[in-house]
Amino acid sequence: MPEATYDAVIIGAGHNGLTLAAYLARSGLSVGIFERRHEDGGGVNTEEATVPGFHHNLHAQYMEFIDYMPVYHDFELEKWGSRMIKPDTQLGITFADGRPPLIIYRPDPELDKKTHKSISEHSKHDADTWLELKTKMMEREFQIAATLYSPAEAEDDAEASAAMMSAGLSLWQDLGLTANDIGKAPKVLIDRFFESTEMRALLYRQCIEWGANVHAGNGYGFLVSVLWLSAIHYMSAGGTHTLAHAMANAALKAGACMRFSSPVVKILFEGGRASGIQLKDGTKVNATKLVASNVDPRQTFVDFIGEENLEPFRKERLAGWHFGPEHVLGTPSFALHEAPNYKSAKWNEDINRCFYTVVGFETAEQVSNYILQAYGGQIPDRPGAGTWVNSLWDPTQAPAGKHVMNGWFFFPKASCLSEAEWDEVRATYNDKFLKLWEEYAPNMTRKNVIADRLYTAFDIEKKMSMPEGDFSQGRAGGIGVGVAREYQYRTEFPGLYLCGPSAGGGGVSSAPGYGSFKVICKDLDLPKIWQQGGRNY
Amino acid sequence: MSDATFDAVIIGAGHNGLSLGTYLSKCGWDVAIFEKRTEEGGGLCTEELTRPGFLHNVHCNYHTLVGVCPVYDDLDLYDHGLKYVQPEVQMGSVFRDGTALTVHTDIDKTCASFARFSEKDAETFRRLHDEVKGYLDLILSTLMYSPPIPLLDITKALVVWKITDKAEFLSVHLRNMTINEFLDEHFESDKIKAMLAFQAAISGYATDLRGLAVSFPLLVGKMDNWHVCVGGSHQLAHSLWEAFAHAGGSVFLNTPVAGIVTDNGKATGVRLYDGSEVKARHAVISTIDVEQTFLKMLPREKLDPELVKHVEDVSHIDWSYYSVHLAMSEAPQYEAASFDPDIQNAWVLNAGYESLDDLSQDWKTVRAGKLADPKPNCAVNSLFDPTDSPDGSFTGLMRQFAPIEIGSGGMEAWDEMAGPYGERLIDAWTSYAPNVRGATIEWQSYTPLDISRRMVNMVRGDWMGGVIALDNLLTERPTPELSQYKTPFEGLYMAGATQHPHGFITFAPGYNALQVIAEDHGLERWWQ
Repeated sequence: MPEATYDAVIIGAGHNGLTLAAYLARSGLSVGIFERRHEDGGGVNTEEATVPGFHHNLHAQYMEFIDYMPVYHDFELEKWGSRMIKPDTQLGITFADGRPPLIIYRPDPELDKKTHKSISEHSKHDADTWLELKTKMMEREFQIAATLYSPAEAEDDAEASAAMMSAGLSLWQDLGLTANDIGKAPKVLIDRFFESTEMRALLYRQCIEWGANVHAGNGYGFLVSVLWLSAIHYMSAGGTHTLAHAMANAALKAGACMRFSSPVVKILFEGGRASGIQLKDGTKVNATKLVASNVDPRQTFVDFIGEENLEPFRKERLAGWHFGPEHVLGTPSFALHEAPNYKSAKWNEDINRCFYTVVGFETAEQVSNYILQAYGGQIPDRPGAGTWVNSLWDPTQAPAGKHVMNGWFFFPKASCLSEAEWDEVRATYNDKFLKLWEEYAPNMTRKNVIADRLYTAFDIEKKMSMPEGDFSQGRAGGIGVGVAREYQYRTEFPGLYLCGPSAGGGGVSSAPGYGSFKVICKDLDLPKIWQQGGRNY
Repeated sequence: MSDATFDAVIIGAGHNGLSLGTYLSKCGWDVAIFEKRTEEGGGLCTEELTRPGFLHNVHCNYHTLVGVCPVYDDLDLYDHGLKYVQPEVQMGSVFRDGTALTVHTDIDKTCASFARFSEKDAETFRRLHDEVKGYLDLILSTLMYSPPIPLLDITKALVVWKITDKAEFLSVHLRNMTINEFLDEHFESDKIKAMLAFQAAISGYATDLRGLAVSFPLLVGKMDNWHVCVGGSHQLAHSLWEAFAHAGGSVFLNTPVAGIVTDNGKATGVRLYDGSEVKARHAVISTIDVEQTFLKMLPREKLDPELVKHVEDVSHIDWSYYSVHLAMSEAPQYEAASFDPDIQNAWVLNAGYESLDDLSQDWKTVRAGKLADPKPNCAVNSLFDPTDSPDGSFTGLMRQFAPIEIGSGGMEAWDEMAGPYGERLIDAWTSYAPNVRGATIEWQSYTPLDISRRMVNMVRGDWMGGVIALDNLLTERPTPELSQYKTPFEGLYMAGATQHPHGFITFAPGYNALQVIAEDHGLERWWQ
């Protein structure tokens, strides 16, 4: 590739890099995105991984931020092939021993009645409590979203942070929680509010889904993972990757360039300022205004800049940086003749059309032990899974009359097992799961499976360069309060920004891309093109 | 999408649709492409089928018209991230007796390799090569990159232009000959003949079909022009997408077209999957198969019954490919390297064809719905493009001529046979390069059934858009009334692999349709 020059060079074509690229290009900057892989989207990834015609999401399974995500609306991504389906039947757990399923429906006055009825089969108290908490939470959804989509201001901007803090605290108190509870683990809070083992099992699972540690996390995990992000999931029609392509389309149409199979090895500096990048093949690319990194901090600072060039505080932060959470994903993919037909459907048929169905756990303790095993570096003995049969809602994801299932196991971090051990897991764990699955849905036999595939934490690390298979680029260990805020999107190097999950959170929120754009706008004095449509962030 | 209007609406975001769309956008037209799949590029499709980081080209692997096809430079694709590598040792054949043949970008080296088998054939090949290269531009411009003229006119032109007077190989008789017969007439070594036939066959030309010798000079002309697309074939799709977007075009992925809207014999737009209509001011262009275009997207009552019959009778290629994609820890080490060390670095390598009889026998076997004894073509792109596999490892590909249906089991039988047949292919490769089996970390098969599952427009695994046979070439392809990229509906054009010349990464169907559209609409030909 010839040497090239752009105003902005972005490392990584994941959804955050694409978001930042689209906004910067729309602001009039020339933008080049450099991606190690052959494809855009990062974890927003769908492949015909079992048999052609069966579309499997190998990382992100669902979209919970679409209503809030600025890029989705500002760039009219629905025009570019992205389509979202929000199933009524959102979240459920099924049982093998004859108990009715527990299903939480999409928040909606009519559907709330169904939710209440379903939870009441196990505990009326839990049903009342859930609807009360969830309703209060959803009344403030955009207020919470604002905290996600607003970059933390410099600490000296006390007014802005105080306003946000006080809004959060008032919600917290409305939910019946005290300031003291903020430090409590989600499990403690779930157990306090809910009494039935069925509801606890489902909510433990929901909690860890978004990366919150159910045993050792804090109240924030309870608020965000359990109360906010549950039961508001969208399914991306055609697979999650269509969202990435719609973003790529937006970026390309705005004039951005995308270069694939172009691994970055170095961030270049001139007079202390980030001035470009060097690719693995030796090509140098100049950046006249900025370099933004969408990849994890270890690669950005250690691999691309070099430890010897880092300030002591950065080394300290990297040393304290944890990859994990302590559990990461493994994704089973099954191509099926028939969709699962659950025993518990005799009580409520909706379980057969539930978007996200938890399979393999009879009690809250089983979920808890499962996740503790993953935290402890072991492959869980009981191979329960979160399952999505997307073809129930979007027939284009499987050949006519057939079905496609994607799932999430929770596995230990990639480094906990050797390569050979992961090979063993890859070869055997789906089978173990299938045997268990059959106990819940008798038609889930080997005969019903056309093909299957398991994608482990080890594979995620290799495929996505996500260290340890971590989907949110890790987090600062032990530092919660008092983080040097000015180093969220900005770095100590002028002209170098972070635009990935390490700065603005994981999940397909595109918040890091959007947040970094706002910060860059401020620094480069670009027009505030996000201030439109009455959005409060 | 309701009520949107574009100058041109293109069905299908394969390489023909994307390139034609970009040309038209650069003419100032507002162009939209609607694609059923969630990915652009059609057969330009690269997947991590085995392990992460191993990039497998599950359809197109060989790009043979780089530097020859005008599209690359016209659309500045190299400025949009496209990179190619042209392996120095283009092709190779390994034989049971431990010998090997190699084809190089350097004709002298190719002849030196041939001369070890037959001095006479080496000289003949050099004369054939020189003669073809002398006429290559003419052959390409008349045979590929312009709307087709009848075969008779081409043969007449050869006489009128006095080419046949001077030529040793180009002759009016080629239209009566099979490629095998052409080779028998000019060459003596079985192995050289087998290698030359093999390279024609993997380009889609059955070597035992009468008349296909007409295309042989063209195939020889590009025999040293096979390119690896760096980062996988899908990168060409990425660069086309960017070129199209920057020219102002819009690609709508995951947006199937349900029907073509006509009014008074004129195509006026398309109807999408959700019932909404998109209007086209000047042109609706289909780059997909004729069956879907005419039998599914247009109302039957508006079609001439004769055309319907012709479309129903379109012949598809009666053989396809079975592939094995491998993640490998080592590159193959060929026993024949002691005979010719260059074989180690050959890209497109045949393991098994020793004579034209071998090939003829396989055509019969495959057409009878049986699996042939594996004689795969084997390629390790990582030798030339290290970005297609993790450092220190290799991405391998084996392709084998295969039946569309197996015995009485039909296409469905492929799901049963894919595993065992793959083992036989790996054994075959291992018998020439003993480390292959041990170096295989994981492999995945890809069958004719898989081709048709992934690409609906590749009817029954037909990756060529229709059989390559004399009665389906030039003005006969896909039917006489559709051969000029136009249709009985004003404003409806055909620009996909079904059209002359055929599938493969030629860009010619799109490019030739462009000439017709430019003529119809008085567009300024900025590309000339």
